[in-house]
Amino acid sequence: MDKLLLNPIRLKIISSLLGVSSCDFNHLQKVTESSKGNLSVQLKKLEESNYISISKSFKNNYPNTSCSITKLGSKRFEEFFKSLMSLRK
Amino acid sequence: MTKEEQIKIINDAIIQTKTSLKPLGYNLLFWGILIISMSLFHYFFPELVQFSNYSALVYWVAIPVIGMVYTINYNIKTGHKTGYETQLGRVVKIIWATFGLSWLLHVAISVIKGINAPTLEILFSLAIALVMTGLIIKFKNITIGGLLLAFVVYNHVSPGLNFLLMNVYGIAFGMLIPGISLYTFKETK
Repeated sequence: MDKLLLNPIRLKIISSLLGVSSCDFNHLQKVTESSKGNLSVQLKKLEESNYISISKSFKNNYPNTSCSITKLGSKRFEEFFKSLMSLRK
Repeated sequence: MTKEEQIKIINDAIIQTKTSLKPLGYNLLFWGILIISMSLFHYFFPELVQFSNYSALVYWVAIPVIGMVYTINYNIKTGHKTGYETQLGRVVKIIWATFGLSWLLHVAISVIKGINAPTLEILFSLAIALVMTGLIIKFKNITIGGLLLAFVVYNHVSPGLNFLLMNVYGIAFGMLIPGISLYTFKETK
């Protein structure tokens, strides 16, 4: 199984990004129920592995971090989910 | 972490980023009320709307453009508040942006060519947008509303139904009623 997705916060991030074209940092923080620092670290790890892409912009003069899943991320999640289901059987 | 816990994490995360249908319901409701009110006002007070050669055109362009600005602003704010955009929401947004563009084009072409109000063409494009939206979000009332609107447009070929009344019937079936049902629809997990 993909070790990167065994971490619950990273698994929550990837699962949240599955059906969305983009998702901002605040929503991910709400979903993962983690601190800003911890979430940033986990996002960086996923980005370094090319599972997600991160874009930074400004919304109403406030910095905004937006994340989206990459093709590799979707593929890795699919493999992870399949192996999870096969182990469950 | 057990397998069950992992599956629960995935499930919970997906549920928290689902498409909210309420903003779309609000949009349909807003446009339904606006167009029906405009049509009825035009129908009952034609002398006020058609006091000059271009006043009706200005009436039917200026108010919807203000409505467009308002709804675009509302949708942007709702998007910021939600914090994410689903693939489904993106597809629906593209459909309605295309309809908005086709509306502007219909009006521009009719002005340039000097033809009458392109009501039938606009309502037909609207019917297509509604049917597509209804099928994509799997909400029968919108699909049926779009089909009813297309039926009203098709039927106009023979009887001498007033364009404004046709607008009222078509928009009531196509936008207002489906909009109310979508807006009051309780989304379940």
